[in-house]
Amino acid sequence: MNLNVNIQENNNETVVFLDGEVDVYTASILKEKLNPLAEGTNQSIVVDLAKVNYIDSTGLGVFIGVLKAVDKKGSNLKISGANPRVKRLFEITGLNEVMDVEEDQRKEV
Amino acid sequence: MTDTKLSMYQLYKEIITDYIRNKSEHTLYSAQKLSMEMIEKDMSPEEMVSLHLSVIKEIVDDLPKEVVDSFDLLLEVMIGYGLAHREHLSLRDRQRQLESELNVAARMQKSLLPNEPINVESLDFGVVSVPAGKMSGDYYHYIVDEHGNIGVAVADVIGKGVPAAMCMSMIKYAMDSLPEQRLQPAALLENLNRVVERNIDSDMFITMVYGSYDPREHRFFFASAGHEPGFFYRNSTGEFEDMETKGLVLGVSPKIHYKEYSLQLSPGDFIVLLSDGVTESRVDGDFIEREQLTEIINKYKHLPVQALTEQVYRELEKMQNFQLKDDFTLLILRRNV
Amino acid sequence: MQVQTHVDIHSEWGIVAARQAGRKLAREIGFGSVDQARITTAISELARNIYLYANKGKIHIEEVVSSGKRGIKVSAIDQGPGIKDVRKVMEDGFTTSGGLGAGLPGVKRLMDEFNIDSELNNGTTITAIKWLR
Repeated sequence: MNLNVNIQENNNETVVFLDGEVDVYTASILKEKLNPLAEGTNQSIVVDLAKVNYIDSTGLGVFIGVLKAVDKKGSNLKISGANPRVKRLFEITGLNEVMDVEEDQRKEV
Repeated sequence: MTDTKLSMYQLYKEIITDYIRNKSEHTLYSAQKLSMEMIEKDMSPEEMVSLHLSVIKEIVDDLPKEVVDSFDLLLEVMIGYGLAHREHLSLRDRQRQLESELNVAARMQKSLLPNEPINVESLDFGVVSVPAGKMSGDYYHYIVDEHGNIGVAVADVIGKGVPAAMCMSMIKYAMDSLPEQRLQPAALLENLNRVVERNIDSDMFITMVYGSYDPREHRFFFASAGHEPGFFYRNSTGEFEDMETKGLVLGVSPKIHYKEYSLQLSPGDFIVLLSDGVTESRVDGDFIEREQLTEIINKYKHLPVQALTEQVYRELEKMQNFQLKDDFTLLILRRNV
Repeated sequence: MQVQTHVDIHSEWGIVAARQAGRKLAREIGFGSVDQARITTAISELARNIYLYANKGKIHIEEVVSSGKRGIKVSAIDQGPGIKDVRKVMEDGFTTSGGLGAGLPGVKRLMDEFNIDSELNNGTTITAIKWLR
């Protein structure tokens, strides 16, 4: 029930590296970290899920909330490094149609 | 002293005197029973300490001053425990009150679900829906229209408990208010999505599968808004197929078009719709695989459909040590003839 | 003749002084040892509240008589930040969860009468009375 959030600036992208589970217990942590990023305009935000093995529906809700917020500011939200189980969740819910979900993971420095 | 306090005093004095004389377990047992009575009569720990001191002063001559003084400290500390105890009692009362409010709300919620059985000759129908707590974020619906078509839906609101349940009632009323095309799955989801998108918090969403069965053609039309895929059981091959669909969850974007799919059912074929509480059952920390789930369904498929859904629920409940992590809904529709 | 004591609270010493004054007066009025300890705990909590949330303030302790009954009245007065949501601090489990002691609901339980007036940015006055039975 832990989630570590590490934010890095890489090549004009803000990459948010998550490590742990994104669920009903950790969703508020993630929300707190992502909300300030979503307030900027014309940003490229990437959330890297390479070290996330589980996301529940509350966790998915955080991504939806952020997606709605960045859309209003002309920013872009991308998911990278999702494992097959997590990626499948984005596919089932159709979220891969409204945000980019890439298999490649970003490099954490 | 009041009468109760006086009788407590007498009783406690007898017990102590007896214990000092005999040191018997029997006397200790009497003290345990007395403590229950004291708690029931709302006697606080500090009063108990004071009672003990007065009794012991009476039966022991020349109690050392140090011992008597030490009781001041015990009394001071026990007041803290006494307050904690009283707070606990008041919180317990409040919990009972909340519980009874929740029970009423849960009954109201049940009344939102259909309760008339489906009587269509060629079909066997069954559904089980169990909340993880008192209230459910799952919703199911079925209806037979004037042409004899059967509409079925399973929806799952993000999260669980009261917030999910409140959102669920919105789905119910939104569906009731939709116009004529209610049995056309894709159009229905598109309309519903517009209502949900306007009325939902930005990080909430709802998944839903809606299907419509035409008993003349034995065709099942369906569309899904990001819902956990169901299963189609083909009697001729004895295999379960995933009902893979595309479609965004409800409440994210106002203008969404849903794709409609259809399946042709032969006698003995059946359709399984479920919520993710079924597939996200955790057994010893691991999620149950979809194959394990179809194996369980397969084991009971000879039963009438209602009994089949109940057996599957019972088995999954048992595998999870009777602790549901999420609301559970399983709905099955089988063509008989 | 009614006795009245004022204690300034700006350190933990003040808390002890207020306790002492309260216990003394409670004994003089004729409260038993359990009630003396209850009254003292209530004073202690009120004084601690001043010390923790308003930094400084006053505790008044006095004897009161009403329709033949004798009692002790404790007032805690500060010019601190005030209480934003009185209902919330009077809820059980609000302060105690962090191990902060009995809190105001505890004071209310220990005494017979309890009254709280608080104005945001203008301070708080709490009065509590215990009657001799």
